[in-house]
Amino acid sequence: MDSVISIRNLTKNYGKNVAIQGINLDVMRGEIFGYLGPNGSGKTTTIRTLLDFIRPTKGVVSVLGLDSRADSAQIRKRIGYLPGDIALYEKMTGRQLLKYIDGLRGGLDWNFVIQLAERFEANIDQPIRTLSRGNKQKIGLIQAFMHAPELVIMDEPTNGLDPLMQQEFYRLVEETNKKGATIFISSHIVPEIERLCSKVGIIRKGELVAVEEVEKLKEKALRKITFVFDMPISKEEFESLPGVIDVEVEGTALKCTIKGPVDALVKAASWHKVIKIISDDGNLEEIFLDFYAG
Amino acid sequence: MMLRNVFVKSLWDQKRSLVWWCLGIGLMIIITMLFYPSIREMTELNEIFATDENPLMKVFVGDITDITSPEGFVNSQLLIFMVPLLYLVFAIGIGSGSIAGEEEKGTLDFLLAHPLTRESVIVQKFLAMNFAVAWIGVFAWASLVIGAAIVDMEIGYSRLAAATFSGVLLGITYGGIAFLFGAAFGKRSLSIGITGALGIGGYLLNVLGPIVGWLEPFTKISPFYYYSSSDPLANGLDWSHMAVLLVVILLMGGMAILSFRRRDLAVG
Repeated sequence: MDSVISIRNLTKNYGKNVAIQGINLDVMRGEIFGYLGPNGSGKTTTIRTLLDFIRPTKGVVSVLGLDSRADSAQIRKRIGYLPGDIALYEKMTGRQLLKYIDGLRGGLDWNFVIQLAERFEANIDQPIRTLSRGNKQKIGLIQAFMHAPELVIMDEPTNGLDPLMQQEFYRLVEETNKKGATIFISSHIVPEIERLCSKVGIIRKGELVAVEEVEKLKEKALRKITFVFDMPISKEEFESLPGVIDVEVEGTALKCTIKGPVDALVKAASWHKVIKIISDDGNLEEIFLDFYAG
Repeated sequence: MMLRNVFVKSLWDQKRSLVWWCLGIGLMIIITMLFYPSIREMTELNEIFATDENPLMKVFVGDITDITSPEGFVNSQLLIFMVPLLYLVFAIGIGSGSIAGEEEKGTLDFLLAHPLTRESVIVQKFLAMNFAVAWIGVFAWASLVIGAAIVDMEIGYSRLAAATFSGVLLGITYGGIAFLFGAAFGKRSLSIGITGALGIGGYLLNVLGPIVGWLEPFTKISPFYYYSSSDPLANGLDWSHMAVLLVVILLMGGMAILSFRRRDLAVG
């Protein structure tokens, strides 16, 4: 697997403000990578460096094996980009705008453009200034995918989309990925990343605090587990088990939170007669919140 | 209309504004020209202008001694103040917004998501600004020709063209300054402010220079000096003066490229 996005020791300062610091990241070909972080954590700064809109204070960035600064136009020929808070030419209609990009990019498959527009039920014949936030976002999505790029970089892509269109967007991302494209999505919405991405990078206050496969990360998740036994049990029995925190006993029920493997807990419980086990899946949201609390 | 590149798209953005400016400048010129027959007969006006009693008047009509001649009339009523003022306002409006306007609206991120170099964006937008000002110039010239024909003024079309050309270059010079500041700092109001001040300064320097002795040597740093001191309407173009304006224009474009390609772009 080759690295499609490679970020080495990337730091960006604005005067004394540190926007991002010492970021190292590789996104491999064929991945759907989620870049997760709250607003203001440095997601957009990272992305705008990939596009060469801003220049690193320190560090080197390469995209598709090309230098982000020297080869920027070549890079941008091969990628699709959806800016966060997209601003479009308000006087144009969607069709005019997409035709304009067709001109700039030199010849696209116009049928595919129309297919995308139909898929998102995008209104491309009205001036863009008359469109709602979500409808503008659709035009933004179309222009990011319309030239079948090798890599699609999107900053908060579902911003303003209604739930139906979000689903359509997820399908489009998955299809495009199956055809071989690499996808890089920044978002602050955990379920979205969980739904789409194979790998996730978590950024906090300008620093990348974790890069891991979503499945592995889930294993590390805090899970809430409840055992119901046939008779009352004592709290002490479970409190000292590895990974177990927040033990509560209510009559015959034991509620606890566990981090990591559940093996020891299950074995301890099996000394008693277990009536019922309720366990939630490790969910990314909790991991995410955990990272931010810590 | 097919918008295939940034140059055409930039002009397309200006299409309404261009129509109104052409209409406005055209009407203003023709209406002013209609007054010529009544001025032509009033030779006593020349005596008023010939005296040095009211030097401040020269700030707005120029150093005119013969307002009843065709050249004197057109220069004093149109070319000294009103017409270049309009070129400047128009050119500064476009120049300041070319890069900074898109950057402030946030559309620059969108545009540069596609395979264009920053240099190419600058060059195309700069040329579009040049073209738009020249377009206004063509209408101004046509209006001068039409106005002259209506009032039966004896003045050569080519001399009117020479004066217009000089004015267009003056407009583009200031448009270029505004373009540079917009490209370098990404702030439209800053660009308008600085260039507007330079415009007023340049104008005053050029008209006050001949009146206020100690200012005289400095008039040559004013673009207005190269626009009007050779009186293209009476004498045709002084190419050495035009060359100065052209060099300044090229310099502004070149510096815009240098400053724009090295800086960070702002988010909308």
